[in-house]
Amino acid sequence: MGKIPPSFRSAIANIRNPSSSSSHILPPQTQPHHFPRKKPSNSPTKSKKPQKPEPTTPPPSLFKSPNLSDAKTLFDSILKSYQPSSLDFRFHNNLLHSYASISSLQDSTAFLRHIINSSRNSFSPDHSTFHILLSQACKSNDLSSLAPVHQVLNLMVSSGVSPDKATTDVAVRSLCSQGRLEEAVELVKEMSAKHNSVPDTYTLNFLVKNLCKCRTLSTVYSFMDEMRSRFGVKPDLVTYTILIDNVCNTKNLREAMRLVSTLNEEGFKPDCFLYNTIMKGFCMLSRGSEAIEVYNKMKDEGVEPDRITYNTLILGLSKSGRVKEAKKMLRVMADKGFLPDEVTYTTLMNGMCREGHALGALELLKEMEVKGCSPNACTYNTLLHGLFKARLLDKAFEFYEMMKSGGMKLETASYATMVRVLCREGRVADAYEVFDYAVESKSLTDVSAYTTLESTLKWLRKAKEQGLAV
Amino acid sequence: MLPQRMKKAITDNPKKLANLIDLVNLPSTLRDFVGQSQISRLGCFMHVWSYIKTNNLQDSNNKNVVNCDEKLRSILLGKPQVELTELPALIKLHFPKEPK
Repeated sequence: MGKIPPSFRSAIANIRNPSSSSSHILPPQTQPHHFPRKKPSNSPTKSKKPQKPEPTTPPPSLFKSPNLSDAKTLFDSILKSYQPSSLDFRFHNNLLHSYASISSLQDSTAFLRHIINSSRNSFSPDHSTFHILLSQACKSNDLSSLAPVHQVLNLMVSSGVSPDKATTDVAVRSLCSQGRLEEAVELVKEMSAKHNSVPDTYTLNFLVKNLCKCRTLSTVYSFMDEMRSRFGVKPDLVTYTILIDNVCNTKNLREAMRLVSTLNEEGFKPDCFLYNTIMKGFCMLSRGSEAIEVYNKMKDEGVEPDRITYNTLILGLSKSGRVKEAKKMLRVMADKGFLPDEVTYTTLMNGMCREGHALGALELLKEMEVKGCSPNACTYNTLLHGLFKARLLDKAFEFYEMMKSGGMKLETASYATMVRVLCREGRVADAYEVFDYAVESKSLTDVSAYTTLESTLKWLRKAKEQGLAV
Repeated sequence: MLPQRMKKAITDNPKKLANLIDLVNLPSTLRDFVGQSQISRLGCFMHVWSYIKTNNLQDSNNKNVVNCDEKLRSILLGKPQVELTELPALIKLHFPKEPK
């Protein structure tokens, strides 16, 4: 969206330079605004003027002190050494940006005034200029109020540049990056009401996502309702996906299903990604049959499943103890032309190990390697866990040595299982050795490695006293 | 699963973690062994265990048993042989709960 392919950039720069004062060419460039920090690094490559690479390339180190008068002097000296007509508006923005990164908001505002005054003809501030100041205002130390933000917005309006969608977006993202969610919500409402710059769905979704993380669901709903009823900003499929993912993660599947039906009422058609999200929700609760239902529904609706769909399904089936069907799914997947990846195999191995069929999982490892899919640390840990759980000590120890020689880290679960099984089998010295490796390879913190060992040994002594263990 | 439970136990009970990693002033016997005047229970365990390993004190027939040398005996209740199983518990004896 709005991204200009690199090959076009120089062309656009060419067009733009002659009429650098017109700010209305900007909209195609609005998306990059969302990340105003990137500008200085992007622009040197974009600017096609070979004769002045010096001032544009080193902006980060250009301003050494946050002192305003120093900055002004520096700017004037730059201006003197180049013809004003050879500088495009992005040059000024870069200067402002690099100065803003070290100075206070007041100073950078004054600096902007200075730029405008001293290069009257060649530069007039546009959206992106003010966005630099805006994001600085949002990140300013004054965390208690939105006053600096208002200040910039007022300046913007009085300079004849009216805030638009991108302005809202810049402000929201900068505020959220500082964890000022309440203020962001407040500002969005205010800007929609006052400046008539209604947020687009990207901004809305960004806010919804952040709200979901740390607010109650009802807060999110009321925010969305307000946005819709007051400003006509409607949620889209992505918004619903965010919400569904969120309620699924809190195991609230009833709400998820309600959301799905609302979604249908609103005329959205769930896509593959959304189905995957719902399926994941079911799988997390080990409800394999519901996951299958979703899969079937998906096929009925004519949505093509992707690799993630199959991985999720295999996870769901493995977790609910239906490994046979999971294996079948692996075949279906291959038939559809999706190569199983390490996640697929690891999930399936996990399922097999759950059934105590660790040797079968080991076979699967071979098959996986034959097919050219390289296992990751998680795969090995799953197998290690499985082998120890199945009390196949020789094989398990062999496998452990192999992992050790590869310098692989142990996961908490597999480490705990190893220690427990080894102690149970009366091989305390080996358990100590595993403890050493866990500490040495920094798989776990010393504390957690030790607590596991200590409590296992304590349990072992108790069991011995009661005559339950060797 | 054990690890989760343990994690919870630790976060629920910061005191337990504290008595594992807080530095403690050592009694003279332990001070001679460790060579420091302060150490945590975890550090002490690590020290003893690495002492056992470097001096090859594990019984060659049964690795689970440690044959104590003079020095080790002085801190482990004077026992000639100690099982690895009881090592943490024996070390814990030097770190009594602080009276309130």
